[in-house]
Amino acid sequence: MSAETAVTEDEAFELLAHLVASAELCIREPYYYGTFRLIDAASKLMGFMLSNGADTEHEWLAAFKEEVDTKKEWMMWDREGYFAFLQGATGSVAGELKRRAAASI
Amino acid sequence: MESSSTSLASLTAEQRADIVLDVIRTRRVVRRYTDEPVADDQIHRVLEAGRWATTGGNRRIHRFLVIRDPKTIRLMKMISPGMLGAPSAIVLICLDHTAIDAEQTREEHSSGLVDVGTQAMNMMVAAHALGLGSCPVTSFSQSGMSTLLDLPRTATPLLMVLLGHPAPHTRVMRRGARTRLTVEDLTYWEHYGHTS
Repeated sequence: MSAETAVTEDEAFELLAHLVASAELCIREPYYYGTFRLIDAASKLMGFMLSNGADTEHEWLAAFKEEVDTKKEWMMWDREGYFAFLQGATGSVAGELKRRAAASI
Repeated sequence: MESSSTSLASLTAEQRADIVLDVIRTRRVVRRYTDEPVADDQIHRVLEAGRWATTGGNRRIHRFLVIRDPKTIRLMKMISPGMLGAPSAIVLICLDHTAIDAEQTREEHSSGLVDVGTQAMNMMVAAHALGLGSCPVTSFSQSGMSTLLDLPRTATPLLMVLLGHPAPHTRVMRRGARTRLTVEDLTYWEHYGHTS
């Protein structure tokens, strides 16, 4: 997967529609639904990235997407676990950012 | 349908209750579906269940719009953040302002929203009885939906009932996650706060 092929135009429009509709829904829905919409958008983005690249090159991305897809649904029946997951999720992304930065030096 | 009606009528009230309660108890929201289309006769039976739902004052101010075209469903999903799966069919329950005028009622009457819930619940129970999965969705853009589906100004989209054949899925639970609420957790007797 190269930077140019991470997301196609159709996929970008799909993500755009999701984000704009989510922004509208945030006006009337419980506040924590907004967190769900964002992490769901992250999942969609990862799905697009994985479908446009070789999975073998993106073990971390595939594993993180699987974790997101499993734990995002906890919002509906295990909010404590869901919030704990969100609080640790950025750490996972930061670790991958750090690894990528080190690799590009 | 004649034969199943006849056989059901031959059961005792207790036996009928067991069947109905089992369908109610075992229904779950389904968010993962196979690509298999839902047969039209199954959709009709689901719609019939919705038609038999109670409505406030027997007002019939809603209309059902059935969508089966995969391309349209895909577009609907894009503006419906609450729609997590890819269903084969959707029943969109709309408030019909022409019917509201004909009924000489008021749009803001809250029982109209309750009616949407009873219709959707009847449909989902029927879907489960038919072996289908279903999911209610209100998290969509009403303006986006009206544009996508060319809805007239007299129709307000309120709730989608997603229909499809359930895909195999095992729900992963966190250890220590809260268990299900019981009837006792939800019920007081005679006075609010009295649990027995």
